[in-house]
Amino acid sequence: MPQGDYIELHRKRNGYRLDHFEKKRKKEAREVHKRSQTAQKALGIKGKMFAKKRYAEKAQMKKTLAMHEESSSRRKVDDDVHDGAVPAYLLDRDATTRAKVLSNTVKQKRKEKAGKWDVPLPKVRPVAEDEMFKVIRTGKRKTKQWKRMITKVTFVGQGFTRKPPKYERFIRPTGLRFTKAHVTHPELKCTFNLEMIGVKKNPNGPMYTSLGVVTKGTIIEVNVSELGLVTPAGKVVWGKYAQVTNNPENDGCINAVLLV
Amino acid sequence: MVQYNFKKITKVPTGKDFVDIVLSRTQRQTPTVVHKGYAINRIRQFYMRKVKFTQTNFHEKLSTIIEEFPRLDDIHPFYGDLLHVLYNKDHYKLALGQINTARNLIGKIAKDYVKLLKYGDSLYRCKALKVAALGRMCTVTKRIGPSLAYLDQIRQHMARLPSIDPNTRTILICGYPNVGKSSFINKITRADVDVQPYAFTTKSLFVGHTDYKYLRYQVIDTPGILDRPFEDRNIIEMCSITALAHLRAAVLFFLDISGSCGYTIAQQSALFHSIKSLFMNKPLIIVCNKTDLQSLEGISEDDKKLVEEMKSEAMKTLIGQGGEPREGAEVLLTMSTLTEEGVIAVKNAACERLLDQRVEVKMKSKKISDCLNRFHVAVPKPRDQKERPPCIPQAVLEAKAKEAEKGKKKLEKDLEEENGGAGVYSASLKKHYLLAHDEWKEDNMPEILDGHNVYDFVDPDILQRLEELEKEEGLLQEQEDDEVEMDVEDLTPQQQKELAEIRKKKSMLIREHRIKKSTAENRPIVPRKFDKDKKFTSERMGRQLSSLGLDPSKAIERVRSKSRGRKRERSTGVDDMNVDDDGSNKKMRLRSLSRSASRSRSRPPTDVVIPGEGFKDSAQKIKAFKLGKKSVQKRNKDARKGEGDRVIPTLKPKHLFSGKRSNGKTTRR
Repeated sequence: MPQGDYIELHRKRNGYRLDHFEKKRKKEAREVHKRSQTAQKALGIKGKMFAKKRYAEKAQMKKTLAMHEESSSRRKVDDDVHDGAVPAYLLDRDATTRAKVLSNTVKQKRKEKAGKWDVPLPKVRPVAEDEMFKVIRTGKRKTKQWKRMITKVTFVGQGFTRKPPKYERFIRPTGLRFTKAHVTHPELKCTFNLEMIGVKKNPNGPMYTSLGVVTKGTIIEVNVSELGLVTPAGKVVWGKYAQVTNNPENDGCINAVLLV
Repeated sequence: MVQYNFKKITKVPTGKDFVDIVLSRTQRQTPTVVHKGYAINRIRQFYMRKVKFTQTNFHEKLSTIIEEFPRLDDIHPFYGDLLHVLYNKDHYKLALGQINTARNLIGKIAKDYVKLLKYGDSLYRCKALKVAALGRMCTVTKRIGPSLAYLDQIRQHMARLPSIDPNTRTILICGYPNVGKSSFINKITRADVDVQPYAFTTKSLFVGHTDYKYLRYQVIDTPGILDRPFEDRNIIEMCSITALAHLRAAVLFFLDISGSCGYTIAQQSALFHSIKSLFMNKPLIIVCNKTDLQSLEGISEDDKKLVEEMKSEAMKTLIGQGGEPREGAEVLLTMSTLTEEGVIAVKNAACERLLDQRVEVKMKSKKISDCLNRFHVAVPKPRDQKERPPCIPQAVLEAKAKEAEKGKKKLEKDLEEENGGAGVYSASLKKHYLLAHDEWKEDNMPEILDGHNVYDFVDPDILQRLEELEKEEGLLQEQEDDEVEMDVEDLTPQQQKELAEIRKKKSMLIREHRIKKSTAENRPIVPRKFDKDKKFTSERMGRQLSSLGLDPSKAIERVRSKSRGRKRERSTGVDDMNVDDDGSNKKMRLRSLSRSASRSRSRPPTDVVIPGEGFKDSAQKIKAFKLGKKSVQKRNKDARKGEGDRVIPTLKPKHLFSGKRSNGKTTRR
């Protein structure tokens, strides 16, 4: 025992107090009442936090209790019915399915015409122009209003140089330019921080695609060389599409889901 | 002398608690209300403030953790090693490094989100950004949760380490388990170490303090060491090895000659030889304990040989220190903690050896010369070879001899003891009173008489005072006056006139002197410019000195040289009216003549070092003078009288309070 452990040393030499164990037991029994008192009296944010914590604890307790109560009793086992199982009185008939068979190519063509793709977010809320652009007044008397500043997150490529300030109509502020995205692989369920290569399509219109605006639902192309994917032919895949799943201007980061 | 106080480290909160503390702080100490209708700048500022505030708090708390935990490279190597043995240096550094990275990450997050907040154009957007920022900071903190828990554990353990000062006088006790180390320390200090019959009762270092020759020594008890190769040692043994390796202490190696610890003398001597490299430069004493069970002479021949071997090793360290090889008794001692014989002797020997070694080292070090420079024992130079022993008068010698044969004076204490002790006998304090009559000694003196305190009226000189009082009242004066009047009547009128004249002159002289004394003010009483009559000339001084019987020539010369210089100056001034070519020559003459007057005090040149001034050599002295002058320079430039002179000559100098400005407004002055 180290030199500073006075309590333990005293206990070793003289033993516990005569009422030590009784006091301890009673104190622990009183804890329950004290806790309920604080739960009822706590107000404001403290009360809310305590209630949340307590709720989680209670839920956990219920689960453990249910687990303990599971008894090893025997139950009836249901046999699953096979697909295509036929009742006894139809056994002799041939099953014919009448369906229109369409070839894959026709299906693809139809999809393309409709403009519907197999993406995680098929529909997004449209973004109005006045939400997207902020009008900037210029000129000596501040009467010209042809400049616009983009208020959403944008992506500009690496070799991007802007037009001379006198002539640029759309201002993409540096603070809102992002180069990386947090991309989740839907099957592996893990997220990687990958570099963006470009904006493929913005659902709000071709103008936004050309400007490089990244909003919710935009398809972006990301550099997946980190993942080490390989085509069946043996070539290394280094770029894949992903769809943005959050509002980057509200969260400060781009979260996307990889399109496999 | 730094005392390592690991108890001052603040508690490290767990990851969850940390987040709770900082977030609740933010919620309480920043404004909470913001509405949609406010100006967008106001909304932005509101949220930016929250983000910044949270980041500052995180930064502050993480910084205190990083700074309070000691850096293993910066503290004394003994503590560095001890902490490494107990907690593993790498884990410790990793944990602190993680906290540092977390701190930097949180800073970056705050910076990025504050930048983004500048583009927030609605309340919802700003709020969402703030939530994202705080969320990310909290995630970072939750990730370092395990490191925080580890650091808190370490902190609790460190606070319980014994406070060992690695620089002071230390005595280290080492040896096999169960040889009697803890009982020894219990005997000489107040440390209450557990003593049990099983081995490894002591599992960590224990500290006790003891005194010797008015100095405090710390005694460190170590856990027992077994004879094993170095790599196989466990943490407990490593503690003692660390203490042995890093502390400059006197080492007491304990030997159990009775073998009741369970290990033979052969095993113990094997241990000694394996760790003897750790005893380098340390005063070593081999202590044979448990002599009540088995004395040192009674052991077998082989054991005696082993003991002699150990003793010779210890003697080697003694000689290596440079001390004269004293008797071997100083190196090998026997004692028994049970019967307490020899315990004090061992302690004294160890303290003595340690003190000698430390003094020796200090004398050889560089710092001692700083102290020695300040001392200068001035010994008068012997004029001749005559011996001059102290002179004691004969009467004193005789008195001393008489007293010696008379014996010791009887003290009051002895008297008290004779007559029954402290509670029974009370000394009569009045028996040495000096009074006119001896019978008055035992009298009770009243304290209050007629309503007055007697002590207010007690005065030993009361009769003398009475006389003076009577004198003042003029009773004696009358008697004198009668005598004086009689004298005056006896004189003739001419003598009376002369007497009156003499008295007048005397009173005038007294008055004059009084005036002179009050107006002189440390100046020469008659400045030369007021001496219009030219009464005070050098001839008059010469005449007065010769009338006294002294030789005036030297004094006159000295005075003449000063005055001569002045006279010359005046004459050359007249010639300067004509324009001369050898003006430079005249200037040189001027300077050489006036120089005799300019040396007011004779001082030795600044290079010469007088012993006793406190300077090492002349270079140091010159530097000291330069530093002194430099420190005064700035003050003199400001025309200040001294350090405390805070006078501002002009409170509102004109150039600051008036005039127009070439550009800008003049609203501030």
